Amino acid sequence: MKYKPGSRWKSVVCSAELVVVRPPKGDGELACGGAAVIEHDSADPAGGDVDPAFSEGVLIGKRYVDEGSGIEVLGAKPGEGSLSFDGRAMSLKDAKPLPASD
Amino acid sequence: MTHVMKGVRMLEVAQFTFVPAAGAVLTDWGADVIKVEHPVRGDAQRGIQMLQRLAVNPQRSSLMQHPNRGKRSVGIDISTPEGQELLYEIAKTCDIFLTNYLPQARQKLKIDLEHIREANPDIIYVRGSAFGEKGPDREKGGFDSTSYWARAGSATLVTPKELNGPLLQPGPAYGDTIGGMNIAGGIAAALFHRERTGEALEVDVSLLSTGIWATACSIDVAMEKPDEPDIFSASMPGSSNYGSNPFIGAFETSDGKHICLSVLSPGPYIEDVFSHLDIPEMAQDERFSTAEAIMSNTGAAYDQVRKAIAAKPFDYWTERLKTMRGQWAPYQTVHDIPKDEQVLANDFIFEVESADGGPPIRLVANPVQFNKKGATNTRAPEASEHTELFLMELGLEWDRIEDLKNKKAIA
Repeated sequence: MKYKPGSRWKSVVCSAELVVVRPPKGDGELACGGAAVIEHDSADPAGGDVDPAFSEGVLIGKRYVDEGSGIEVLGAKPGEGSLSFDGRAMSLKDAKPLPASD
Repeated sequence: MTHVMKGVRMLEVAQFTFVPAAGAVLTDWGADVIKVEHPVRGDAQRGIQMLQRLAVNPQRSSLMQHPNRGKRSVGIDISTPEGQELLYEIAKTCDIFLTNYLPQARQKLKIDLEHIREANPDIIYVRGSAFGEKGPDREKGGFDSTSYWARAGSATLVTPKELNGPLLQPGPAYGDTIGGMNIAGGIAAALFHRERTGEALEVDVSLLSTGIWATACSIDVAMEKPDEPDIFSASMPGSSNYGSNPFIGAFETSDGKHICLSVLSPGPYIEDVFSHLDIPEMAQDERFSTAEAIMSNTGAAYDQVRKAIAAKPFDYWTERLKTMRGQWAPYQTVHDIPKDEQVLANDFIFEVESADGGPPIRLVANPVQFNKKGATNTRAPEASEHTELFLMELGLEWDRIEDLKNKKAIA
């Protein structure tokens, strides 16, 4: 599967939708909830259950990265499944602001 | 809301609330606002994890939503040459550049007037500062508690002399929010001027100028009466402080809440007010029956009003006074206002979708309406949420985006 920058994808086991914002360096499979994602324009997915090992959820507007391949994905719609690339759980890339208070 | 700013794009390099709030108003009005954030740290506002003693949920942070709704966030490290070059490319597509960086930082980051105008000679250049673009304090930073509230006179005006120290600003971002609206007004006027004449202006608004605009009436009077140090001295809460008008004051109800009366011209309202206060006979009392009489027997009339309101609870009065023509208001809390039927009937509060998938986030709209329509808008972006998508929309090839990422110039 070719994950082009800007391409849109959806989970087959939950409501998550994704945008690839950095493609992976080599080949591999992007999955959500343990099942390979499909192109956003595809017909509605067959369904299935979220694999409990990949069930931490996707949040809208957040970035997820896989250090190994360099792939970076943006959550476009939230879902219950969490992301993996070639079976490796992807991690949340979040802003690290300096602590302040008001 | 009519999108009066549709087609206008603003590039915002600003943090915290005061200056970003101007961008928020522009998005309520339909502008495309590109918020540049540091690719690692984000807007410093995102670091506010405690609001006084209240923990902030970063996924639903009202502090981020209020000044940043409707924007796109693009993560650029503008301290790198590649990041600066990218910023100039974006500036070429914008009508307005907005910043709250101090003069030295603007020079160091090469985002000062001359740098941005070199990229785009027609851009309106807007600075929001603590103390103004001129004078000895132009290089000093500030927040609304310092520049707007303390230095601009509001604190000493509102604090009774009997207290041991000044009263603090009411709630977070009070002066910032009003100041942001002032910037938005300045931007609208500058756009109008550019439309008519072709000239792109610089616009300056500061927290100090906003603060002394808020206290302007008091300051103007003080400049006329320099020898009267005690004009506008605040009275202690609960004191029976009346001037020559008994229908003005904060009156306590039987359950310890308060009703504000502010009937500046009592004459036409004597019967109206006394009958609504359940003491209609007072309107016939010759001490109170005419404007002249009541204003020369203020103390006695004030006592009648105070006793009448003290006899019944707050909820009784808010119902009872609905039909009174004389000017009044309940003293409401921030929990009362989201339920206020007048606020809701006028669409002064609207909703945005929450990024955490939870219930919508309710926000106060900017205070201007066009054609009687309330604001609609989208949530504030997550940090750097739109970097690649915006840059692709701008026409950057992927190889260039990849290169910027490798150089850590973008998120």
